[in-house]
Amino acid sequence: MSFWLTCLGMLTVTFGSRLAGLLVRMRLPPFWLRFLHFVPIAVFAALVTPSVEGPRGEGGIRVAAAAVAGVVAWRTRHLAATIAVGLAVFWLLRLL
Amino acid sequence: MPLWLGVAPFAFAYAVLARNTGLSLVETQALSLLVFAGSAQVSAVGLFGRGAGGLEVVLTTFLLNVRHVLYGMSLGRVVPMTRRERLIGAYLLTDEAYGVSVARGARSFPFVLGTEVSLFLVWNATTLVGALVGGVIPDPERLGVDFVFPVAFIALLVPLLRLRVEVVVAVAAGVTAWLLATWAPGGLPVLGAGVSGALLGAWLTR
Repeated sequence: MSFWLTCLGMLTVTFGSRLAGLLVRMRLPPFWLRFLHFVPIAVFAALVTPSVEGPRGEGGIRVAAAAVAGVVAWRTRHLAATIAVGLAVFWLLRLL
Repeated sequence: MPLWLGVAPFAFAYAVLARNTGLSLVETQALSLLVFAGSAQVSAVGLFGRGAGGLEVVLTTFLLNVRHVLYGMSLGRVVPMTRRERLIGAYLLTDEAYGVSVARGARSFPFVLGTEVSLFLVWNATTLVGALVGGVIPDPERLGVDFVFPVAFIALLVPLLRLRVEVVVAVAAGVTAWLLATWAPGGLPVLGAGVSGALLGAWLTR
């Protein structure tokens, strides 16, 4: 498959998923409303853990830097500060 | 908006990685303009680099992005939208736009659209810069630019955790995804842990 055919496929499944959720019109029972409340929490957590360790055998310092970023996010609730501190700690630990 | 500072390095990293796996400037930019899904774009670039087939890339993209069905249902429930607004809103819907809209308690389409458009512009502008710089940086992997990805999602996740049950769900989903990722491809751990984690939360709060 050529790049552009692949790109078209990616566009179709991505836009399709995004549109489907917005077009569904129904009243959800309370269980599924609570389910939706927990979706971002579960999905964001699931996006963190598989990628935190990394492929290059530096899992220790990545986990440590991520933990520091977690504390910053908890104390400041500030996205940019969290990312900046997380990366700074990561690069600092690599130099040591 | 502080979210730009989180998205920009991610887009920059994507573009640099894309150029380094052999995508042209136009191809790198096209994925940001047409697909506009960070984790899927980075995964696709990784798969291209390993010589994966197009179908494999499209299926991984679907696995990674099918969660947007849930974002759309969640947003459509609290934000009234016309048919045309739904088309535009859906095209630009991302984890970050959804995260910010939920975190700030968005109730109007202009707020959601403003968030989405600003993210789209920053994502594409930074993609262009990264794609141009990409040929110059010799080995971005050694710099560990991919570490931006987990840190960005930590920054989105932690402010959502206010109740004990929300922390329980986050830990359960994180551990599930980590275990699933040892044998399942691309987006499947995220999908499986996301659905089972949200089910756990709904069941625990019954």
